[in-house]
Amino acid sequence: MNNITINHDSEFISGLQDTLNKEGPFSSWELFEMAYQAEQTTMTKEFYGLRALEFLPHMEFLPHQIDTAKQAIEHMNGRAILADEVGLGKTIEAGLILKEYMLRGLVKKALILVPASLVNQWVKELNEKFYIPAVAHRKNYNWEQYEVVVTSMDTAKRNNHREVIENIDYDFLLIDEAHKLKNHKTKNYEFVRSLKKKYCLLLTATPVQNKLIEIFNLVSILKPGHLGNYDSFVKQYGKDRKKINQDIYLKQLVQKVMVRNTRKDTSLNNAKRHIETIWVNFTEPEKEVYNQLDTSVQPFSTFSKITFLRELCSSREACYLSLQKLLNKENQELLEPIIEEIGQLPHHAKAEKVVELLKDIGDQKVIIFTEYRATQLYLQWYLQQHGITSVPFRGGFKRGKKDWMRQLFKDRAQVLIATEAGGEGINLQFCNYMINYDLPWNPMRLEQRIGRIHRYGQEKDVHIYNFAIQDTVEEHIMKLLYEKINLFEQVIGHLDDILSELQINDLESEIQSIYNESSSSGEAKIKLDNLSSIIHNTQNNLQEEQQQYGNI
Amino acid sequence: MAISNLNTFLKDYFRAHHCEILQNDNGIMQIQLNEEMDRALMNRPFYWHYIKKMGHPGDPMKLTLITNPEQREQNGEWIHFGSPRLHQIINHLKNNERFTKLFQTIETTTNTALHPWLVVNIKISYIGKQKKDELFSLGLNLVNGAMKTEMMEKLRQIDLQNAISDYCYTISPLIKINSGFNRIKAVLDDYLSNQEHKWAQDSLKALENEVELLKHFYQGNDEQDEERVQKEIDEITQRYSPKIDLSVINGGLFYLNPSFTTTS
Repeated sequence: MNNITINHDSEFISGLQDTLNKEGPFSSWELFEMAYQAEQTTMTKEFYGLRALEFLPHMEFLPHQIDTAKQAIEHMNGRAILADEVGLGKTIEAGLILKEYMLRGLVKKALILVPASLVNQWVKELNEKFYIPAVAHRKNYNWEQYEVVVTSMDTAKRNNHREVIENIDYDFLLIDEAHKLKNHKTKNYEFVRSLKKKYCLLLTATPVQNKLIEIFNLVSILKPGHLGNYDSFVKQYGKDRKKINQDIYLKQLVQKVMVRNTRKDTSLNNAKRHIETIWVNFTEPEKEVYNQLDTSVQPFSTFSKITFLRELCSSREACYLSLQKLLNKENQELLEPIIEEIGQLPHHAKAEKVVELLKDIGDQKVIIFTEYRATQLYLQWYLQQHGITSVPFRGGFKRGKKDWMRQLFKDRAQVLIATEAGGEGINLQFCNYMINYDLPWNPMRLEQRIGRIHRYGQEKDVHIYNFAIQDTVEEHIMKLLYEKINLFEQVIGHLDDILSELQINDLESEIQSIYNESSSSGEAKIKLDNLSSIIHNTQNNLQEEQQQYGNI
Repeated sequence: MAISNLNTFLKDYFRAHHCEILQNDNGIMQIQLNEEMDRALMNRPFYWHYIKKMGHPGDPMKLTLITNPEQREQNGEWIHFGSPRLHQIINHLKNNERFTKLFQTIETTTNTALHPWLVVNIKISYIGKQKKDELFSLGLNLVNGAMKTEMMEKLRQIDLQNAISDYCYTISPLIKINSGFNRIKAVLDDYLSNQEHKWAQDSLKALENEVELLKHFYQGNDEQDEERVQKEIDEITQRYSPKIDLSVINGGLFYLNPSFTTTS
């Protein structure tokens, strides 16, 4: 009892005395009583539990998100590394934690440091999903003015801002993409260490393959000394990452400040995935045009050529429209005949295959994903010709239109044709068939697509059909990228780990540059093959390690 | 009793502020605001500034609130326990309904004395690793010093009004309001010192633990780290050192029939 500080209310009684002296204003009984009710409603009755849940009835949280928030608050006392795999909702977990602290009155002043490109998205999500009045930092705002400010590390650490920020006592500090803080000698690291903070969350998708010393540095922001001091740590564990495996004790220590959910251990795993590749053959005229495009060197760069080839594999329309855009006086002679021929092509081989497949599937809802708007329109028309009802879906639709399309799909149409899966997508658990009409080069995008239907709440097995045309660029990608590394079955959950181990930021641009820098499709094939071999090996290595010592 | 029926709560709130409820069916409530409530809730100070300058009475808005989640696709604002609108209303209540002076409504033709009571609704917050609140409603008879708990529950049983009823008169307090409040404070202090406060011990343990780790972390480092160490110790202290905050939600002077204590 002696160690507890007690703060009495010193204002109330003089306020009451003043009001009595001035003969008012006095509350009516009704309003006086309602204010009491209001307090009973907002007060925190228990030390434990998440009150935020009852205040966010419009949100559907996944069990692992709720567990993570509880763990971070109740067991880690508000200082934690959230290290879920991509796509499991770290932002949601962080928002839930912040909301809980704000509801309990423990956090007023919060600073949220995220990559510049994500500032607006964070502001939007905190406001819309959590009713947290977060604002993005603007030039003329001052840092004290707003309670919850979102900004980028670069803005915050600029000299004129830095001094102000360092003097503010923050109740809550959040850093997204915290793996960038792994080096304790950098300015960013120094800056973060200098901030005054009560609670602190570090968000990162890729801590596992970090060197041990990097984990040490992250933990030292949250809980200095938790892993010992720098010298003793380096002496005991070295700077070599392999040593983490020797120490189960160290792993347990790390787990006290870090939560990492993987796809494997979330409940997303109950419904099985059945994945099937559907090979399609071009018709003779289609093949001819394809080869003609492939072998022509002029008038475009390899970069655009590969794009046109991909488009042609998707639909005549997609390729036709892009070529038209390219048309000018100089290349007229070369391009016009090809454009002409594309215009003459019969129906696309894939579209016919889709109709066939839809008839086999029968009376079930199906989502078709394509990379191209033109293909989307063409497919809608083509399906209609065959008496199949469909609705379109694009990432650019406004929220209301998205919901409307989802409803139409649920109640009226058999097929939903979508061009974009990512970001603010919709949840379509009532559907369990998906056709990937063309494959994205970035497997994470594919995972996001599948995530629309294979997610929490899906009760049936999920069927996924991947379309690819033989003897085309699609075959390379399918065989070399997707099939060789068992992408669908094994790799996808670990892909972010693997790529970061290989220091590849963006697989899509990696493949793009392979094509750009190759003079023939044969050369491109070999390079692609090499790339997938590397991915495959890294995957095996990582897996071996994890089998031995468990995933952190 | 926390708010259990949001629709009733809102209806009472707007009625108490003299706003007309235009419609209230199936969880959709339309309210015609008056100027006071428009100013309080609609966040348009420039409009009111401008319209008053022009010598115009102004045109308060209508507000449509949806309390039934199944109707939330309709036009209007879905209001629920987490919605900003409800929090605005709750804050409006908490900020404005702090003080009162009320009289028990009594229908009588004989002279009746009313005793003054100091009623205080007070929240105790226990803040350590985690936080929890407790709410007390205490009443002190300023004539004879009797003290009652759960005052609000008891007051709900009777009728109260802002003006004194006919044939009633008030007895002057023998205990001053200030010393009355001190008596209440003393009772609460007593209550607090009789608890074990395991939460505070846990919190202190965590505090010591982390400070120890911290010292180990900086062991053998040079002097210049001292400032940094102090900063980190401050942070840990701020996060874990146990404290208890007492804050009065609202309170006031209540003139009640002497039979009040015996009947309830």
